[in-house]
Amino acid sequence: MPSVEPQCQRCHSRLEAEDLRCPVCALPTPRAPRPSVDRERARLIRCNNCGAAIAYSVEAQAPKCAYCASEMHTETQEDPIDQAEHFVPFEVSPEQAHEALAAFLGKGGFFRPSDLASRAALDSLKPMWWPGWEFDAKVEATWTADTDAGSHRSDWAPHAGASQFVLHNILVSASRGLTLSETQQLSPLYDVAKAKPEPVGPPGAQVELFDVTRSGARRQILAAVESMAREQIARTELPGRRHRNLRVAAALSGLDTSHYALPAYVLAYRFKKKLYRVVVHGQRMDCVLGEKPVSWGKIVVTALVALALLVIVFMLIQAS
Amino acid sequence: MNLSCQSCGAQLVVADTLRTASCPYCAAPSVVERPPSRDRPPPTFALGFVQTPRKAQELARQNLLRRSFWAPSSVRNASVEELRGIYVPAWLYSALAESEFSATIGENYTETETYTTTENGRTVTKTRQVTRTEWRPLEGRHAEYIPDVIVTASSGLPNEELEQVEPFDLRGLRRYDDALVAGWISEEPSLPQEQCLEQARAEVQGLLKQRLAAFMPGDSHRNLSYSTRFHQEALVVCLLPVWVLALRHDPKAPPLRFLVNGQTGKVYGRVPVSWVKVSLAVLLALLVVGALFLLLKSR
Repeated sequence: MPSVEPQCQRCHSRLEAEDLRCPVCALPTPRAPRPSVDRERARLIRCNNCGAAIAYSVEAQAPKCAYCASEMHTETQEDPIDQAEHFVPFEVSPEQAHEALAAFLGKGGFFRPSDLASRAALDSLKPMWWPGWEFDAKVEATWTADTDAGSHRSDWAPHAGASQFVLHNILVSASRGLTLSETQQLSPLYDVAKAKPEPVGPPGAQVELFDVTRSGARRQILAAVESMAREQIARTELPGRRHRNLRVAAALSGLDTSHYALPAYVLAYRFKKKLYRVVVHGQRMDCVLGEKPVSWGKIVVTALVALALLVIVFMLIQAS
Repeated sequence: MNLSCQSCGAQLVVADTLRTASCPYCAAPSVVERPPSRDRPPPTFALGFVQTPRKAQELARQNLLRRSFWAPSSVRNASVEELRGIYVPAWLYSALAESEFSATIGENYTETETYTTTENGRTVTKTRQVTRTEWRPLEGRHAEYIPDVIVTASSGLPNEELEQVEPFDLRGLRRYDDALVAGWISEEPSLPQEQCLEQARAEVQGLLKQRLAAFMPGDSHRNLSYSTRFHQEALVVCLLPVWVLALRHDPKAPPLRFLVNGQTGKVYGRVPVSWVKVSLAVLLALLVVGALFLLLKSR
């Protein structure tokens, strides 16, 4: 394996050992120095196995020895599935997660069944680490848009600008088990500084694996950076109150990605033969997301009462 | 240039433009190593051949048959006279392109317009909604990385022809290794680096024209002009796999040159036009038009 600079020389993004080019700006990574050639010579490439001359075989798509059929490895752009390097530890025990569920069910509003907390039965409680990427990046964004600032006869006036901002500790979900809205609500509450290289949590906790290849992951991360850049520009850079046609060109630098495993409990409870799913944050038991049944009886009664009130008011007005 | 074969010691005659040679006596495939120079640095990357020679022939023939309607009927029986797999040297260019632009942006608005018209012999005044455009000047900056621009480094394969078999799938890129080209024809770069750099910049300028047009806000734009500075340019040699075929259809005519992308199988080749077929078609069209004209006139 050649020695590879840990950073791209052009955009300062972090490189993996297998990268042939920078994933952000496509600058070729430096290769291990080759022995210098001072005069012209013809060289035979010999098979490492039997010493015969070898040639590239289109059938094998690799250099192959015609005598012993052994293939020679050449360095190509690897695209492995990366695994979590940092495990954020569980700080909520399974018992606390159960308590959190009870508190969540007890807090139900007026339209929830009044016997929800007492009759809901826990069906399953699974501690798990869900996968996510965390990244830092610097974005140099140039943009154009139409806004209402400075508009004359038309409602819109064109604007252009450039801005720089730094994105720090941004978490992007790679989980298939949790929904996007769940991971978005869980993410800001993790203390990733406590991450450890090994999983620390209740026995039987499962690690959801990253199931996206490195190139796929990078595409998702770059898309996340671009969408964050758009949001940031729309929020802080654009003059006026309304905008349309926001176009952003982003040049990233210093992209550094880490692979995290983030703790959560996935619970299921049964209420009147139906299953409902709840997610409890693995570090904060006050963060509980999930579904609760509604009491249709209460809704119908409320609607009828409201209707009756309306009819009475209407009749009173008519009578007067 | 004479070099000796490492296998049998025989003298190999190697053209200055080639990177590989096959010994005429023992058929051992050699790779030629030369001291690098500015215009001829060692290749950084290579893409391996994926299409087999049989597949390349099939693809070229299918392509020729599909486009043979206006060609002489002899091309239907064209046979492959020669088939060579060549690693063509190309420059792989990337840069940060920073452009300053100015344009006039059109913002549409609607106005109620009063107009007069004649209805039943009387002049009436009416109103209607019309869309008008307000033109506003805009100046700004656009910066982005331009990653994968490929220009030929071979005088044997002009850039226009290489473009016809592009794109190559750069995900299959491999770090150059002599073993990748052993047993195949591999060319050395034969065009000056400076000329190729200018060509690559010109290609980026063309690409930026589209990118900037899409970058403009408003409902429309005009007078878009821009100047671009290139930062941190990188230019490395990449060997691209190309099958070159000579298809003979007429013993008196020169063979047709077809190119097949050795990785993706995309085909390019010029198909001759049969002037007899074209003249007949024109005559037929004239006859039909004339007949129609006479028919209409006689009524």
